[in-house]
Amino acid sequence: MEKKTILIVDDVEINRAVLVEIFKDEYDILEAAGGEEALAIMNQNEEISAVLLDLLMPGIDGLGVLKNMNVTGRIRTVPVFLITASESRELLLEAYHLGAVDIISKPFYGHFIKHRIKNIIDLYSYQNELESIVAEQVTRLEKVNRSVIATLAALVEFRDCESGEHVRRMSTLTWLLMQEVSERYPEYHLPAAEIDKIGMSAVLHDVGKISIPDQILNKPGPLTAEEFAIMKGHTIKGCEILQKIPELLDEGTYIYSYDICRHHHERWDGRGYPDGLAGDEVSIWSQVAAVADVYDALTSDRVYKKAYSHEVAMQMIFNGECGAFNPKVLEAFRQSEDRILELYQEKQEEG
Amino acid sequence: MKFLEEMKMLGVDVEEGTERLMGNAALYERMLLKFADMLQKTPVSPDFREDDCAEAIQSIHALKGAAGNLSIRPLYEAYTEIVDLLRAGEISRAKEEIRAILPVQEKIVACIRRHGQE
Repeated sequence: MEKKTILIVDDVEINRAVLVEIFKDEYDILEAAGGEEALAIMNQNEEISAVLLDLLMPGIDGLGVLKNMNVTGRIRTVPVFLITASESRELLLEAYHLGAVDIISKPFYGHFIKHRIKNIIDLYSYQNELESIVAEQVTRLEKVNRSVIATLAALVEFRDCESGEHVRRMSTLTWLLMQEVSERYPEYHLPAAEIDKIGMSAVLHDVGKISIPDQILNKPGPLTAEEFAIMKGHTIKGCEILQKIPELLDEGTYIYSYDICRHHHERWDGRGYPDGLAGDEVSIWSQVAAVADVYDALTSDRVYKKAYSHEVAMQMIFNGECGAFNPKVLEAFRQSEDRILELYQEKQEEG
Repeated sequence: MKFLEEMKMLGVDVEEGTERLMGNAALYERMLLKFADMLQKTPVSPDFREDDCAEAIQSIHALKGAAGNLSIRPLYEAYTEIVDLLRAGEISRAKEEIRAILPVQEKIVACIRRHGQE
């Protein structure tokens, strides 16, 4: 097996020599006589498995080295052992707070510190290995996720249910609006990573439309009551489609997209469909997706209507012509008006 | 008399010091020489200003670590005491201790130099 490397940092040569003698058979050793040299060596060597660090040194001292390792993030993957000859407790405590893992007291006892250091190096390398495996799997999962979403969205676009631009704009608008709501209202706060997932999941809001017959989907005039009842069914159909492929999406994306599929036509006063839920019975992300969907539908050309201007669309949404929405979501919408206009400008330029 | 035998007579725990270097006696002898060099570069002296002992603390602290690692017991114990006294602000007692340890230190250094030049 390849030898691991440890870095020994001490301004006193004798102390370094003792440590080198203890570790040289099992490790490759790098030596630094001060903080500056230690940092330079760390910059050049990715493969350092542990640092044995003296605290009191002229120039950049041990705390300085630890601080730098916090800035570079190295402290999370490389264990640092403090070499000490009874420094003050405050100093040792500060070093611990900066991420040092253990103390080696001078004078050294070779066999003990050999074992202690080996144990921790093994633990760290095991942990680093696990983390990189997990990161790899997460990346792979995300890729699968994205391609499944892209495939379904392409299907919706292909069947002419919605234009690809509508789907993309509505998804971005949901993401943008969700950020504003989350920032503005603590009760609706969500971590950024979740908001990203919500935005991505919103792409699938109309996937159920692929099951709606052409003559209804693309009918230029108003729908009959019967046709409208079938059209409304796209919410439930979308869920049925997702139910058949749950293992293709990660858990979060599945939950969000299922929920948005089903509830993006619900309204705040309970007069939406399919379930007639009111208020916060509907999740905040589906409430947000509902506003985003309506706004984009209003400002786009459809088979049955021409596009309205931003001002008219805002007016229609705010005076309740498109059903009632959560006043907090509307407030967030108003507050992010500039960013929304910007977004549409960009998309138009891209288009 | 052999070098390390003589060091033992001066109170140095040669077995422990060698063991700390994983049994490498030759390296131990070389490190004793390094220690003598350290003392030459940063001599221990009671002649520092009472209101500024930071430098003295730093250099004696470093010597203490090295003496400990080489198991030069008499010096390690004296330096430990001196650093503690200096940190506690007991400057004159620290200076007394320094004066008391200087002859011992001199003998040890003389022995290292004598054999180290062989």
